[in-house]
Amino acid sequence: MSTTTKTIGNDSKSPIKYSKDRKVGEGTYAVVYLGNQISTQRKIAIKEIKTGIFKDGLDMSAIREVKYLQELKHPNVIELVDVFSTTNNLNLVLEFLPCDLEVLIKDTTIVFKSADIKSWLLMTLRGIHHCHRNFILHRDLKPNNLLLAPDGELKIADFGLARSLGNPNEDLSSNVVTRWYRAPELLFGAKHYTGAVDIWSIGIIFAELMLRTPYLPGKDDVDQLDVTFRALGTPTEQIWPNVSNLPMYNALRVYPPPSRQELRNRFSAATEKALDLLISMTQLDPSRRCDSTQALLHEFFTESPRPTEPENLPKKKVKKSNDEDESEGGTKRRKL
Amino acid sequence: MSSAKVASTSNSLMSDYFEDDRASKDMCPICKTDKYLSPNMKFLINPECYHKICESCVDRIFSLGPAPCPYPNCGKILRKNKFKKQIFDDLRIEREIDIRKKVGNIYNKTEEDFSDLKEYNKYLESVENIIFNLNYGIDVEETEANLIKYEAEHKIEILEKNLNESKKNADLAKYQEARERLKQEKIRIQKQMEVEDKEYDKQQQQELLDKLTSGSSANTDDIIKQQNNNKLLRASSRKKKLQQLNNQLDQEFNKTNPLYKHAKDLEDSYKTPFTPFKGDRDLNKNYTLLPIPNDVDELMNIENHIADSYHDPYVNQLAKNKEYLGAGWRLQNVFERALDEAFIGLGCIIEKEKA
Repeated sequence: MSTTTKTIGNDSKSPIKYSKDRKVGEGTYAVVYLGNQISTQRKIAIKEIKTGIFKDGLDMSAIREVKYLQELKHPNVIELVDVFSTTNNLNLVLEFLPCDLEVLIKDTTIVFKSADIKSWLLMTLRGIHHCHRNFILHRDLKPNNLLLAPDGELKIADFGLARSLGNPNEDLSSNVVTRWYRAPELLFGAKHYTGAVDIWSIGIIFAELMLRTPYLPGKDDVDQLDVTFRALGTPTEQIWPNVSNLPMYNALRVYPPPSRQELRNRFSAATEKALDLLISMTQLDPSRRCDSTQALLHEFFTESPRPTEPENLPKKKVKKSNDEDESEGGTKRRKL
Repeated sequence: MSSAKVASTSNSLMSDYFEDDRASKDMCPICKTDKYLSPNMKFLINPECYHKICESCVDRIFSLGPAPCPYPNCGKILRKNKFKKQIFDDLRIEREIDIRKKVGNIYNKTEEDFSDLKEYNKYLESVENIIFNLNYGIDVEETEANLIKYEAEHKIEILEKNLNESKKNADLAKYQEARERLKQEKIRIQKQMEVEDKEYDKQQQQELLDKLTSGSSANTDDIIKQQNNNKLLRASSRKKKLQQLNNQLDQEFNKTNPLYKHAKDLEDSYKTPFTPFKGDRDLNKNYTLLPIPNDVDELMNIENHIADSYHDPYVNQLAKNKEYLGAGWRLQNVFERALDEAFIGLGCIIEKEKA
């Protein structure tokens, strides 16, 4: 394993700040290396953005990532340690996070206790609350963008689709968020949505944590509408005023909203408070959906059991060191 | 060729104990009744030899008292009352569970009976050894003898332990029962309310029709509007009532719940209280927001509702846009954000933040 080191041009006092140890993954826009911060011996990930393959310069998502991560510093948001550029590429130095929530959800040998789910949900909401109070929308929340630090702390990552709320009249693209976690107003092509789209994603992730399988897995964009409304009812003007004014509104098939008892059966392990929170996070009408503050103040978090302390949360089982290398590469690659 | 041979030898080893051919799977080997033809038939097994026999055969052969197993070359004496339903497809698992039950009834200590974890683990290891030996036929006679000897020596201890455990389980059973009752009660209340709501709706509809047909002078639109308002009011009050009832039930349940005290102790054992924001929440805004219309009806008619609010004709006009409203866009958020951004730096001393 050859160790190359990177130098930073503008800091002459300590020319070598980070070591680049090995490649852990590669995507279309970037290569990720594992390394060390020399001064602290802390493990870091270096994301080397490929340049020159885009005719307009840098890839948009890299710019977004730098722009917003530089502004945000919170225990539940991935830390951007540094940004530097070498002759012809841009490097983002991020904290190294070995695992993500999707890996845990898929690992059927791990049992989730209700306190564990509560803890992850709590950390996600704290992270998104910090983004929202700084008027930044994440727009791509899903289990594999929720990374887990070795100490169990959950961190929101991948700000490649993030943006800050623009002028009040500015159009936002509705083609954001991974399909299964896309809020109904986005499916209807809304261009003036709010932080409620992130809350919807978190609600769907909450459901996924309880079910251990994706809650609303649509096969394509049309099917996504069908799946969503089959599960939560077709929106009407009555429950969602002005919905019919959205550009791509159509009530394909009219499904009735699920009764409380149906939801109870769907989430058999959930308490009544958990269902209350889930329902208020997955309200079809974005203006009725709770915001991050309301969600955090929900009684679900204060009822027993108390959320698990991060260090006691279930972790990915490490089998052999050889295996570990591969799976780490796998997680990182998805992160790109 | 050779691989087939290996397979067949290992099969013959198994089939002695577990005859599990495809053909025999759904057929009773004694009376040759097929499950396909008589779907009601059930198979039973006896933990003496685990040979599968259908229910009617068991009735026929063993109702007059103990008799030998009808399988050829088995001949173990079986009793009718020991026959049970097969739970697992794999008889090996079925057998291991029986052995576990049997050994577990004798070696029934729990962690609290040991001074440290090491001792307890040693104990568990020895129990596992016994189970393994019995299950795989290693020194069976010796192990059985040891088991009986241990049982005789520790008879009183085992009985005491059993008594204690059953007390604990009784608590749990009570709790589960109470919880089930709570759930049923909640469902009952909700159903009852739903029925009442339906009736109320019907009645309202009738009243509305009566009013309209009687041709009173009032505007029909007004009547309908009024009725809708009434309906909304009633719905929200009903919701509140349901919530209240549920809370009441929960509280009662917690009072009688034996595990509740335990949960409370656990809660008390935490050193710090739970805080949803971990103390990171800015409650003291540096400004006070003027009242801003937020209701859809008010927004559609915004000119009459912004006398005490902010003067921004352009944004106020946007607030009426139905597409914006449908997407969740609200005037309030715009002004809140503008003021937040304007005053967010107040009271923030950069030198202090840096240090």
